[in-house]
Amino acid sequence: MAKFQDRIYPLFKLTANNIRRHPVINLISISIISIAMLMLILYFLAYSNAARIVSAWRADLRIVVYLVDDIDSGRMLSLKNYCRELDEVMRFDYVSKEQALENFKVTLGDNSNFLAGLPENPLPASLELLLDSEVAEVDDVERLARQLQRQVGVDEVAYGSRWLRQLFSLLKTVKYFGFLFAAFLSAVTVFIVASTIRLSLYARRETIRVLHLVGATRSFIALPYLFEGVFQGAVASFLALGFAYGGFRYFKAWLQLQVPQWSIVLQLKFFTTLPLLLFLLLGTSLGIAGFLLSSRWVRQD
Amino acid sequence: MIRVSHLNKCYNHPDMILKDVSFEVKKGEFVYLSGPSGAGKTTLFRLLFADLKPDGGQIVVDGLDLVRARPARIARLRQRMGVVFQDYKLIPNYTVFDNVALALEIAGTPRRLIQKTVWQVLKIVGVERQLDRLPLQLSGGEQQRVAIARALVNDPQIILADEPTGNLDYEIANEIMSILDYINSLGATIVMVTHNRALLQRFKRKVFYLDQGSLQAYVWPE
Repeated sequence: MAKFQDRIYPLFKLTANNIRRHPVINLISISIISIAMLMLILYFLAYSNAARIVSAWRADLRIVVYLVDDIDSGRMLSLKNYCRELDEVMRFDYVSKEQALENFKVTLGDNSNFLAGLPENPLPASLELLLDSEVAEVDDVERLARQLQRQVGVDEVAYGSRWLRQLFSLLKTVKYFGFLFAAFLSAVTVFIVASTIRLSLYARRETIRVLHLVGATRSFIALPYLFEGVFQGAVASFLALGFAYGGFRYFKAWLQLQVPQWSIVLQLKFFTTLPLLLFLLLGTSLGIAGFLLSSRWVRQD
Repeated sequence: MIRVSHLNKCYNHPDMILKDVSFEVKKGEFVYLSGPSGAGKTTLFRLLFADLKPDGGQIVVDGLDLVRARPARIARLRQRMGVVFQDYKLIPNYTVFDNVALALEIAGTPRRLIQKTVWQVLKIVGVERQLDRLPLQLSGGEQQRVAIARALVNDPQIILADEPTGNLDYEIANEIMSILDYINSLGATIVMVTHNRALLQRFKRKVFYLDQGSLQAYVWPE
């Protein structure tokens, strides 16, 4: 019985020969898988960063309840109690008219001089509600706002999460579309890889026939092509990840230069180890799937 | 070693290529399979290593029923056989060494033995100096020797050779025959296809004569 390494060595030798003797076919396959993988990687990179930023914003869900000017202390107390009993509210702060004006001055900075000329403070007192992101969903904000609006002593309720909800639903759509996009790209890639392997098998049909005639089993003939598929997929994934990383670094640096005040840029991150490994696995799988689709040829020969 | 019984073969054609062919080759025999062009020699030759399936009958080689055997068992039988093709069937972009080593690698021979074994067998057939050449850089006779070396390298008990001297001149044909004689003297069973009557006269052996698909007779050349 031959040793395992004596069985496996010729398969790797044949794989190396196949790759060395057909560089153009291999280059075409690797380029196609790389491009498809790069598109997928960039897509998921953009998605994951957008999701991360939106999640960060989501953790800061707030509702501002503006109060009528002539609210009495009893009404104010019952409003505060009402807010305290809401499960979704983590904390609330009362901002008086005077405090609101001070805050506004700080916001305006050097441009706040005009406020001194006002006959009276036009800003209302308010209750600022910070919602518990563990309990409150984005959809709850609108419901809570409606509820609060109905309370006596409330003039207006403001919440900035309407656009956040829209962004969330957009991200959800993008996520599902992403899976479709990934499936479509993968299918196209597998088909093209299968075609190039078939082309390569056709170019080597005489060699395959000789291998059959001198006693090669189907697996002996097929395995080098499987290894070639693995090689193509792995190299293409490395290349695609390398290009994506380079592009990401360049884009982030460019964005920091263009808009240094955007702290959001600092939150942009490349993939962690697990997704990187998954992308490598996906690329390799595409190469294997391409081989499996074309391996019928080896059996039929 | 080889037993063929009531063999029939046709290629989608009402006229059979082989009709009820039966014969037996014993271990250690060296026989010719001869006949005129179109008699079905090459078809019978290809049937003997399961490159074709018969339409009827039975072929048993080294105990394996080729009609019923699974592809993997046929592959293993081919590893134990040496087959020499008229058109050599060498892989053009493999060197002489790689072409011969391939048969050893397929059979799972340990790597440490491959170099030495290939060199020895190339020396037997006289092309050990062409080790690194590609087949197309060799003459027809040299390519035929490499094909024979590949057939011999696994030390097979059965050698099938289709017109191994077909395109070669008189002297080289004699050398090839001497090599096959030598291998036969070591105990290998050899079936050689040839239509060359002069060769049959020079190297007298048992002949199976095929004509119009039928095995006409066993003839011992005068």
